[in-house]
Amino acid sequence: MNLLVFTKRVPATQEEELRIVDEGRAVDLSKMPFKLNDWDNYAVEEAVRIAEKTGGAVTAISLGDSEADEVLRRAIAMGAKDGFLIEADRVLHDPSARAELIRTFLTREAVAYDAIFTGVQSEDDQFAAVGGILAAKLGLPYASMVIAIDSLEGGQVTCRRELEGGGQERIRVALPCVLSLQSGINEPRYVSIMGVRKASKVERRRFRAADYGDLGEGMIEVSEWAYPPKKGGATMLSGELEASCKELLAILKEKGVYQ
Amino acid sequence: MALQSQNRLLTCIQCGKCTGSCPEAGRTPFNIRMLVRRRQFEYAIEESLPWYCTSCGACTLRCPRDVKPSEVIIDVRSALVEEGQIPVSIQKALENTAVQKNPWGRSRAKRGAWLDLTDLAIPHVSETASRRLLFTCCIQAYDPRCMVIPANVARILHRGGIEFGILGEEEVCCGNEVRRIGESGLFEELQEENRAAFEEYGVKEIITLSPHCMNALKKEYGDLGIGVRHYTEVVADLIGAGRLTLGGDYEKAVIYHDPCFLGKQNNVFEAPRTILGAVKGLRLLEFSRSREVSLCCEGGGGRMFYETEGSSQRNSELRVLEAIEKGAEVIATACPFCVMTLEDPATERGQVVKELSEILIEVL
Repeated sequence: MNLLVFTKRVPATQEEELRIVDEGRAVDLSKMPFKLNDWDNYAVEEAVRIAEKTGGAVTAISLGDSEADEVLRRAIAMGAKDGFLIEADRVLHDPSARAELIRTFLTREAVAYDAIFTGVQSEDDQFAAVGGILAAKLGLPYASMVIAIDSLEGGQVTCRRELEGGGQERIRVALPCVLSLQSGINEPRYVSIMGVRKASKVERRRFRAADYGDLGEGMIEVSEWAYPPKKGGATMLSGELEASCKELLAILKEKGVYQ
Repeated sequence: MALQSQNRLLTCIQCGKCTGSCPEAGRTPFNIRMLVRRRQFEYAIEESLPWYCTSCGACTLRCPRDVKPSEVIIDVRSALVEEGQIPVSIQKALENTAVQKNPWGRSRAKRGAWLDLTDLAIPHVSETASRRLLFTCCIQAYDPRCMVIPANVARILHRGGIEFGILGEEEVCCGNEVRRIGESGLFEELQEENRAAFEEYGVKEIITLSPHCMNALKKEYGDLGIGVRHYTEVVADLIGAGRLTLGGDYEKAVIYHDPCFLGKQNNVFEAPRTILGAVKGLRLLEFSRSREVSLCCEGGGGRMFYETEGSSQRNSELRVLEAIEKGAEVIATACPFCVMTLEDPATERGQVVKELSEILIEVL
């Protein structure tokens, strides 16, 4: 069972105040800390668990700059057998262009796989599209928002997809296929610093993105970055406890939070 | 297991003084004597057990055989850390520290945000003649409840004529809790980064705000060649030398809680008492368990980030109840972790918890 997992190195923006520079053309990432895309963390964990159970192997692949090697090391520390870095010297936002580049890479390098995992989306671009577009280009079946993989054998995968309202649907997908995995599918293991250091000894193969596609080619182009409009602050309730509670309850009902 | 710790482990005679001193014993499933025994025989240890330890150090201090049970706990935790099988909340604290250099994952760039709480112009340590560094500490840099502490201490030191500077966002977590959680790789990285900054700026002296930071910098960073003191030691000296006079009145009954990392682990018992004793009108009370046998608040050893199972009464609650029983109006302490863990049960019972600098700033 060979599993490919796509891993993206993204800026850790949760606590940061982002600055738009270059007259709206870019976000200043120079002082940002970076990390593995959260969804991809779940995907790697899931792939490693399956490999541990079925005796397979996981290969982590990252399309990014040379620093992206960091996320491959993390994936290897979690249990991936090896990593491929498709090194690009410029950022490629367009998911269609990313998928095309990956398709060319997988085909030309004759990478063997039974299934390809991606995360549902990346924390930076959030298109949630690379997996689906890649599947279409490869002519493979695709399922998104996978919240549980029940079995992966006999040429098919049985899994459950997350639906709205907390519902799930169980589906069977023929292998090979592409799945995008939803956060919460598992509880990823902790990766220690020593573990990552040990992973540095495992070879990560480097390829040049320019060999597999034109990095300037894309159907979507970023035209402008802008800050979201500032909304009003919080509403403070004051007065007697009893009255405030009634007021709070009324607000919750009005907002549909409490029925 | 390293030969040294293996040898130490085998010298254990199962006297039970460790469990007898342990703040978790009896109320929780955690039994350090039994855990050491199981390690001697290399039996498996139930996964949730090692996380109860608060790193108070009482077991190690009282052991007649130099077994260092606190280090045994760290070894057990290290193995779990390397396997990746640790509680989610502790994972998060470690991951946050790796990315943002503080366990709360708050932006590294905002580590100096507490400066907004003071009108003092505090220089970078490289701009000081004395190269005296005030090491801020993560919880005091980021937690709104604690950010007032560095602002207070800065003013107090300034009043006492002590020149100092800070590292701002170049400071990273001291790693005291990280090492106790068993993530030695991360601890090494944090240590390296702080040491590099100390070296680059020629730091000659360090004053810490948290006893945890003092412990790590003084005892676990190797030979820094830099004197490390907790701010209470500095302030007590200033008061003793007549360089800091406290003019105001503080007519309250104040009970002092010895933090484990300041008190029993680093023998700083007198300095906070000297400070409180110098405050006019302040009536100083003592807990029945004070100084070396002070009751651990259960904030250390990773417990700040981890909720244990069980419904037994927390030590912090017991402390608050005793404070009320003894007629205290204020519980004073000199550690931000103690402040945080004591304050919840205190607030529920109408008791007040003050970090020492919060009392000092009122009488300066």
